[in-house]
Amino acid sequence: MMLSEALRTEIKKWMDLYPAGRQRSAILPALYAIQRTFGCCPVDAQNELAAMLALEPAEVGAVVDFYHMLHTEPKGEYHVEVCTNVPCMLRGAGQCMHHFEEKLGIHHGETTADDRYSLDHMECLGSCGTAPMVSVTDRKSGQIRYFEQLESAGDVQKVLDLVAQGKAFSTLERWTPQGDPDLTGRAAGPYRIGGMDQRFLTARVGKSESHTLETYMADGGYETARRVLVGSKPEEVVELVKASGLRGRGGAGFPTGMKWGFLAPAMPHYLVVNADESEPGTFKDRIVMEYDPHQLIEGILLSAFAIKSELAFIYIRGEYYFGYTRLVQAIQEATAQGFLGEKIFGTDFNLRIVVHRGAGAYECGEETALLTSLEGYRGHPRMKPPFPAVEGLYAKPTIVNNVESICNVTHILRNGVDWYRTFGTEKSPGMRIFCLSGNVKYPGLYELPHATPLSELLVRYGGGPQFDEHPFKAVVPGGLSMKLLTASQLDTPLDYEAVQAAGSLLGSAGVIAIDSSQSMVKVARRTLSFYREESCGKCTPCREGTGWLEDILLRIEEGGGRAKDLDLMARITTFIAGKSFCPFGEASVWALQSNLAKYRAEFEQYIAHTNPENDLPVIPIRPIYRPDTGSPSVATDSAFSLVGESPLHRDTPVRAGGD
Amino acid sequence: MTDLVTLTIDDRQVSVPKGTLVLDAAAKLGIEIPVFCSHPKLDPVACCRMCLVEISGPRGMLLQTACSVPVAQDMVVKTATQQVREVQEANLAFILLNHPLDCPICDKGGECPLQDQTLQFGPGLSQLVEPKRLKHKNHLISETIVLDQERCVVCWRCIRYLEEWEDKPQLALFERGGKTLIDIQDGQPVDAKTSGNIIDLCPVGALTNRVARFSYRPWEIERTPSLCTQCSLGCNLRLDTRTHKLRRVVGRENMQVNDQWLCDKGRFAHGWVNDEGRLTMPLVRKNGTLTPASWSEALGLVAEKLQAIKRQHGASAVGAIGSAKLSNESNYLLQRWMRQSIGSNNIDHRDGADVAALPTGLPALAGLMKPQYGPAPRYDVVLLVGVDPSEELPVLDVHLKRAVRRGKTQLVVVHPRQIELTRYPGVFLQAAPGSEVTLLNGLLRAVAEPGSAASALVADASEQKVEALCGVAADALQKAAALLAGAQNPLLVYGPMVARGESGPPLRQALTNLALSLGKPANLAYVGLEANSQGCRDLGVLPDRLPGHAALDDSAAAKALGKLWGCKLPAAPGKSYKQMLDNAGGDIKALYILGANPASERPLWAQTLARLDFLVVQEIFLTETAALADVVLPAVSWAEQDGTFTNLERRVQRAPKALNNPQSKAAPDWMILDHLASAFDAPWSHANAQAVTAEIAAVVPAYAGLTWEALGDQGLQWNASGPAAAYARAEQPTLPVSSIDSLQLTAGTVLYDGGKLFGLTRQMQGVAFGAEVRLHPSDSASLGVGEGEVVTVSSPHGSLQLTVKVDTTVKPGVAWVPESLPGAPVGALLNGSAQARVSIKKK
Repeated sequence: MMLSEALRTEIKKWMDLYPAGRQRSAILPALYAIQRTFGCCPVDAQNELAAMLALEPAEVGAVVDFYHMLHTEPKGEYHVEVCTNVPCMLRGAGQCMHHFEEKLGIHHGETTADDRYSLDHMECLGSCGTAPMVSVTDRKSGQIRYFEQLESAGDVQKVLDLVAQGKAFSTLERWTPQGDPDLTGRAAGPYRIGGMDQRFLTARVGKSESHTLETYMADGGYETARRVLVGSKPEEVVELVKASGLRGRGGAGFPTGMKWGFLAPAMPHYLVVNADESEPGTFKDRIVMEYDPHQLIEGILLSAFAIKSELAFIYIRGEYYFGYTRLVQAIQEATAQGFLGEKIFGTDFNLRIVVHRGAGAYECGEETALLTSLEGYRGHPRMKPPFPAVEGLYAKPTIVNNVESICNVTHILRNGVDWYRTFGTEKSPGMRIFCLSGNVKYPGLYELPHATPLSELLVRYGGGPQFDEHPFKAVVPGGLSMKLLTASQLDTPLDYEAVQAAGSLLGSAGVIAIDSSQSMVKVARRTLSFYREESCGKCTPCREGTGWLEDILLRIEEGGGRAKDLDLMARITTFIAGKSFCPFGEASVWALQSNLAKYRAEFEQYIAHTNPENDLPVIPIRPIYRPDTGSPSVATDSAFSLVGESPLHRDTPVRAGGD
Repeated sequence: MTDLVTLTIDDRQVSVPKGTLVLDAAAKLGIEIPVFCSHPKLDPVACCRMCLVEISGPRGMLLQTACSVPVAQDMVVKTATQQVREVQEANLAFILLNHPLDCPICDKGGECPLQDQTLQFGPGLSQLVEPKRLKHKNHLISETIVLDQERCVVCWRCIRYLEEWEDKPQLALFERGGKTLIDIQDGQPVDAKTSGNIIDLCPVGALTNRVARFSYRPWEIERTPSLCTQCSLGCNLRLDTRTHKLRRVVGRENMQVNDQWLCDKGRFAHGWVNDEGRLTMPLVRKNGTLTPASWSEALGLVAEKLQAIKRQHGASAVGAIGSAKLSNESNYLLQRWMRQSIGSNNIDHRDGADVAALPTGLPALAGLMKPQYGPAPRYDVVLLVGVDPSEELPVLDVHLKRAVRRGKTQLVVVHPRQIELTRYPGVFLQAAPGSEVTLLNGLLRAVAEPGSAASALVADASEQKVEALCGVAADALQKAAALLAGAQNPLLVYGPMVARGESGPPLRQALTNLALSLGKPANLAYVGLEANSQGCRDLGVLPDRLPGHAALDDSAAAKALGKLWGCKLPAAPGKSYKQMLDNAGGDIKALYILGANPASERPLWAQTLARLDFLVVQEIFLTETAALADVVLPAVSWAEQDGTFTNLERRVQRAPKALNNPQSKAAPDWMILDHLASAFDAPWSHANAQAVTAEIAAVVPAYAGLTWEALGDQGLQWNASGPAAAYARAEQPTLPVSSIDSLQLTAGTVLYDGGKLFGLTRQMQGVAFGAEVRLHPSDSASLGVGEGEVVTVSSPHGSLQLTVKVDTTVKPGVAWVPESLPGAPVGALLNGSAQARVSIKKK
């Protein structure tokens, strides 16, 4: 037996968090506990967990393999992961990785000989405004801390010094070299926040002790909830939210009140807060959870009341460890105060909130995949219909809302629908936390009304191009999935309709500025690497197509491009978008489609420059496979490796319609 | 009346029942929409995207998956637009991108949906110039199934089968994105007993049959629709043969029997058919040695010797043993020959007269099935007494799982072992072996109206008594009784394990009482475990029953038979299987044994058989029994001769000849018996097996009309009314006296037994049971014997050397020994009774 009694007790405690018969949901927390104990999730431990959860061992193994934060082989004592996704790449993540490689004497993907450090690439960690950055995971405790704004080799050395001196995990709040000149390991506090003069969603961020119940209550916190729970009917709240015109802040912009209206009557209802903020270029929900968790909790209280849910889940991405601890703390405070639990404010309304950590899968931000993951499976999306409002979590009517959407509910109910509609436009009412990253002088979060012009965000708040000699070339308006806007479109107002009219979508309001010094080929390649990495693998076009596109882009990047690759890629993208199982397929190619359409000349130049002879790619011959009828098969060691390179030049890719 | 929905597909109107999927509606019009993940036996998952067609909706014509969208009134579907064709091409391009295209050495080549669809819908040319992705190509996921991860198109069919039908998700997706692959958990091979069905379901050559692979090309094989003879379910299958060899077995659909599923034993364990050890020549003992002989010499000797013994000792000195593994035709002729030519009722088969059976079997298997598209199961509560479907009738196990999970059927299991089906909601009554009568009486007491006749019969079966004797707690008993009493349509099933020996008749009576009390006497069924257990009973391979279940003193039946056969039937009851073998060398001077191997069952019988004046064995292998024979007549297997079998629900099904071995002189069983009868001056001269089938249809009233032609390839069930049942007291038989240092022995059938035939499939040797005894951890601890230790297990009748396996599913105080273990017959300990006390000592 691998699992000790203590560990089993802990796992049982996790299992008790979930409704009766749904103990499978505890699979991720249980695996975290196992990984903390053994440094990874050994197969024997997985099998014992399977027995505890009454599953087949393969079901646990399949889950472990799906989530990037779970390992079957131990990483080093400190697992350093450098975010190299596009927003970080634009600000020198490549250099940052290089510094770590030099200082640790290993390549990425390796572990130092003394087992101290493992170094890996990582996809977006929600720290785009403070790029470049790394997250460091302490193997013993499973704790994660972000080290941000590592602009030089010296900054990287400071991180390693902190780890060496045992100061790296004195707190889990983010660290920057600028915020800690004495190298004590102390926290840097929230990153840059700005925007309109009076801010609402980010009002307390930056105040001292902003995360405590005391601070929140001093600002009138929970009074709205008390008034509404005592004096209103759930249906009235739904109507108010409908009237406010609030649209979802996660990316799709679906009207929140309308979604609530679709809820099927069968009980119980569940509220699931989507805090799996993973869209590259988006880092707004993080700050709310880290520095103003009570704002979210009050929003949950109001929303759960409106939809008659007595159990709410916050599905927070696994990397947001600090935010997770703050949420857990805040829920304890609120429960102690009687704001959560039984008979809240003396009414008959009960509410329990469970914080559920994901484990590293972008796809789990898609609502059905999130629910599947929360139920304890691999995070694959499921078929709609039935929509979650009819059959969601545990096949019960469920509402899934983004963190920022839920926070808006509090302000709508506190200040009224008319007040709310004074911000933004008719169809895009309210304020928005814009996440500004990439090549601007002042990346950060800016709370502004919808319809603020893009140029105002970039110049007035962002301070204009990062380097004056490099003007803006392209802007991603709503997270990496969205189509690129060109420098000529900077006057686009940032609201749902206007951005759509400009040929893109507002998405998660993650605005990524790309300046003229950046290679659009590299942007395209890095974008596709992300989607290849994060495709869940369920449907054919996305699983095969993203990898194919990445392969072609890698070849182009390495100097093997052919002019016809551009048309081939454009064609491939049309067979992913709209053909895949979930919106991920679309998201995975929009950026590339717009990139190829708008910056085609740059691709052509790159190919002409790097492959002037138009050399054709060399394909290694496939190994020859012979039936082994005579001898019994050997289950292991059956993968063949490529045998040499072949002179076979197979080319003339032909367009499906004939070439 | 189902609601009909009318829609338009490719400008043609079609009306289909509400809930039909667009894919199936199109198929009704003969429009093929290509699919990989969709399968008519599995829930839609819509992951391969191959079936995207344009479907009208609130937002106009949109590409949607035909496999998952149900039809709607006035829906418009277009399956052949330019856009749809392009998407089909693109999807095939994606699927073929990293596919190894090793069709020349792929088992699936020639019958591969991926090949067919590439031809019909594919883009024609690959545009891939990058290196292909490499994965494992020769990856064992069990002893019998090989996975080629490069060929896999990740359609989830195998995963879904194991989850939706087997409820054992032992295959899963691992990794993710482009690296996604199907695999087992490291070190945990698939062991679901019907796992081989995933090979039939796989739309590409990713899952191949390790027993069959590389031994055929699909276009070279001959396909014969047949059925499985490894258990009494009678699953329909197809025998694929080439050059006189059985190459492969695949499932064949029969919605009344097996849906389209087979168990792994039926699919893989056929190595014995073409084994080189098969008998090919008659053997005659000369100077103590079995020597090859001609048919005329062998048959002549048999006729001469048996007639001499009959003359000297009387007809009752000769006996015949039939076989429930063999066809109706063979068994029918054996009993006819015995009754007509020898003139004795000394005819029986294993688990024949020694078992308290009922004549009609299950009412209907379909009542227990929940197919993907079809009605809910008819039975809401199923009581299983001494039956373990997962070891004995694996496809019934699949049906029951499905009925429980999708049909809300509940199970009440009475078994000394915590069998697999006990994992479902319902009640598990782990009664001590042999105490079942008391348990059933206790159940009846809880179910029956107080003061009723039924209640009076079981007044003494108090909860305390049940708890003391059976080891079953009162609350479990009450729960089971409540479930049964509340059932709309309960089904009660028992098997030979609890029906053998002296405890059989009272058990049958106790069950009859319970069924009567529940108002469903016709819902009580005995199921035999061999392929033709039912047929043997129907055809009178019993010492006390004539063909058609007629009693020996049923003068009308006897007269009718005598007229048809042209003889007078013997009136005296014959000896049972056990009596014949116990008395072999005593009253019984000669035995004719057809396809049975009693010498391997009990060492005592090996001794008595050796004392016979004359022993004839008709067999396909030189078994332990055949080795003792004076004449061995070589027969061919079920695959090499025509025959019909009657399964546990009385379905008579055809098993036509699929192959022959031109090197062999072995003959069909019916033909041997036909020739033998001629030597006894009874010139039957059946032209073929079908003539025998026709004779059975004429002789056995219930089989009237069931001729070879009428049976077709799906079989026919003979009509039966339930057994005439009446209340009577069921007395708990005396159990062997227990003592502190002894355990109660119980034996059970296992699927992967170590028997001779099973062992001849090399690939399955790894899963076969060894010579073992299973003990509860508490017993192994108190005896001080651990896992893997060799112990001597002794009863008053004998002893065996067995290896200990610690097993929590065994009831404390019980030692469980599987039947048919190689070299360790549990019969050595049991002496023909179902119960014995054993002591276990370290070796």
